[in-house]
Amino acid sequence: MQFDLLFEAFGKVMLNPINFFFVFIGVTAGIVVGALPGLTATMGVALLIPFTYQLDPVQGLIMLIGLFCGGIYGGSISAILIGVPGTPSAAATMLDGYVMGKKGLAGKAIGMATIASFFGGTVGALVMTFCSPQLAKIALKFGPPEFFALAFFGLGIIITVSGKSILKGLISGIFGLMITTIGFDPLSGCPRLTFDSIELLGGITFIPALIGLFGYSQVFQGIEKILILPAVKSELKNIIPKLNEIKSVFKTMVKSAGIGTFIGAVPGTGCDIAAFVSYGEARRSSKHPEKFGTGILEGVAAPETGNNAATGGAMIPMLTLGVPGDAVTAVLLGALTIHGFQPGPLLFRDHPEVVYPIFAGMILAQFVMLGVGLGGMRFFARIINIDRRIMTPIIFFLCVVGSYAMRFSFFDVGVSLIIGVIAYFMNYYEFPGSPILLALILGPMVEQNLRRSLIISHGDPLIFITRPISAAFIIIGIFIIITSYYRIKKAMEREAQMDSVAEKEKID
Amino acid sequence: MKKEDIGIGVGLIILSIWLFWYVGRYKPVEIYIYGPDFFPRILAVMMAIFGLSLIINALLGNSLKMGDRIDPKGFIRLLISIAICVSYIFLMKILGFAAATFVFLFILMTFLKQKGIFIRLFSSMATSIIVWAIFRYFLIIPLPEGWLF
Repeated sequence: MQFDLLFEAFGKVMLNPINFFFVFIGVTAGIVVGALPGLTATMGVALLIPFTYQLDPVQGLIMLIGLFCGGIYGGSISAILIGVPGTPSAAATMLDGYVMGKKGLAGKAIGMATIASFFGGTVGALVMTFCSPQLAKIALKFGPPEFFALAFFGLGIIITVSGKSILKGLISGIFGLMITTIGFDPLSGCPRLTFDSIELLGGITFIPALIGLFGYSQVFQGIEKILILPAVKSELKNIIPKLNEIKSVFKTMVKSAGIGTFIGAVPGTGCDIAAFVSYGEARRSSKHPEKFGTGILEGVAAPETGNNAATGGAMIPMLTLGVPGDAVTAVLLGALTIHGFQPGPLLFRDHPEVVYPIFAGMILAQFVMLGVGLGGMRFFARIINIDRRIMTPIIFFLCVVGSYAMRFSFFDVGVSLIIGVIAYFMNYYEFPGSPILLALILGPMVEQNLRRSLIISHGDPLIFITRPISAAFIIIGIFIIITSYYRIKKAMEREAQMDSVAEKEKID
Repeated sequence: MKKEDIGIGVGLIILSIWLFWYVGRYKPVEIYIYGPDFFPRILAVMMAIFGLSLIINALLGNSLKMGDRIDPKGFIRLLISIAICVSYIFLMKILGFAAATFVFLFILMTFLKQKGIFIRLFSSMATSIIVWAIFRYFLIIPLPEGWLF
């Protein structure tokens, strides 16, 4: 850990009002995106990336990180006010938060969610700051077989983000890998699958693909089923919880922060799992578990601390190994690449001037989130009421601008639209979009290192299991695949059981 | 969604066969024994296996239940919206970014039956001018210019 660089970065980021301004914009946009059901933090970051092209890389990146943190917190606002989680990670918050809202305690619930998010986010960011450089030092010893094994481990995450069908998740992943083979071959320079198109020589550009997958597809669904969300009726009173109320949930917050950071750091888990595990643990260890679900502060504090702590945790594998833990960090990884920095161990060695300000920016984002969250709560509550017939065309337009601005290319807008249409149909047939995103990020890494390793070993595939680090990643990857398989299977069985019970009740 | 899964599985197998055949034209060069065709061919084989698994899975009756179905009226609304978007892209080159954006947003909001004309006018104008100004003066990113601005 280079403490001098860390302190210098903190000084630069914290004391520069321009940095503060960009974090403020990112956090505010994130809370708005998070609070609006149907819009995800992934989509928000994807749409904001084009606005960072001309900015100083650090300013652009901390704005995106601010959006990530704000987006995860923002989901709690709609979960508490209208019982619709703005983001999947706020689903656990809804269990007690919405009940509190119905009792007229929405203000207090959102206030507690804000403080818990701040606490969890800060712990996660501090752990990230102190653990990442150590992990990066180890990763500096990697060669092509280790990087291939690492990418294999990363692709194992596809199973965890596969939704209801692992097979369909794998098909999406392979489809994404196929997309990465379009353009110049990374080793020989031979143009592949370009069909004599000059625009395709560089391959399918990441941002248009991303906007197609997560922007257009959601807009298309919104247009098809244009909905008006229910009006917010809860009054927002007593926004800031009392000190003794915070004290009463402090232990839960500390425990949830630890759980959230750890879960976030495990690739393939993410903020939603962190929230549910934190909620479950708080309930299990509580003196009054029967009160959970009836609208208690602990039931709001635990998941909100957990999911925001997971944001810092999720950044650790992304920055140190170049392996994104979930869809949002995959987009952030893409953003770093667009600004000319390749996440991974070399980033720490070659670009400390970028890494340390990211740490500082992440911590600054938590303080800004606390201020903006408490100060702007009434404004965000009103945002939920915006008519979808206005919001959807504006997001549609932002998708067009976002896909154009990367290379000032209408070709990219067309590609993005086509991918959006494909993603729209994929959604209906239960093919998830996130595996494509992971494949787009990891595809070039897989191909290059697979071929390089085989050239080094003269075609002997044992090279991947005879080197200890490479073997370890492959074993962990297989372990993640197997455990995720059983977890998804169990969840599906539970869902099927609930469906049959519901059907029986209907018949009765 | 048994029929759908079988159809998609067949489509994926056809795609795999085509890809396997098509990338055969990219031959390895000298030191690169594992040439440009190596990785796409591995993917083609894997896709064919997964496509076949999807078909077998469907035939064994293990397909997922179809959730929401596409609403035909909503789908037509979507197609018209995409057509409006494509027209907007062409219009941008003629009218310029800001003017075309205003027209696009206003027409799309009207098409989606947003009733307040002042809200439509204000939100379309404000969005187009704000984004245009951010790109032109703050980010200094060139946007298409036409007759207007």
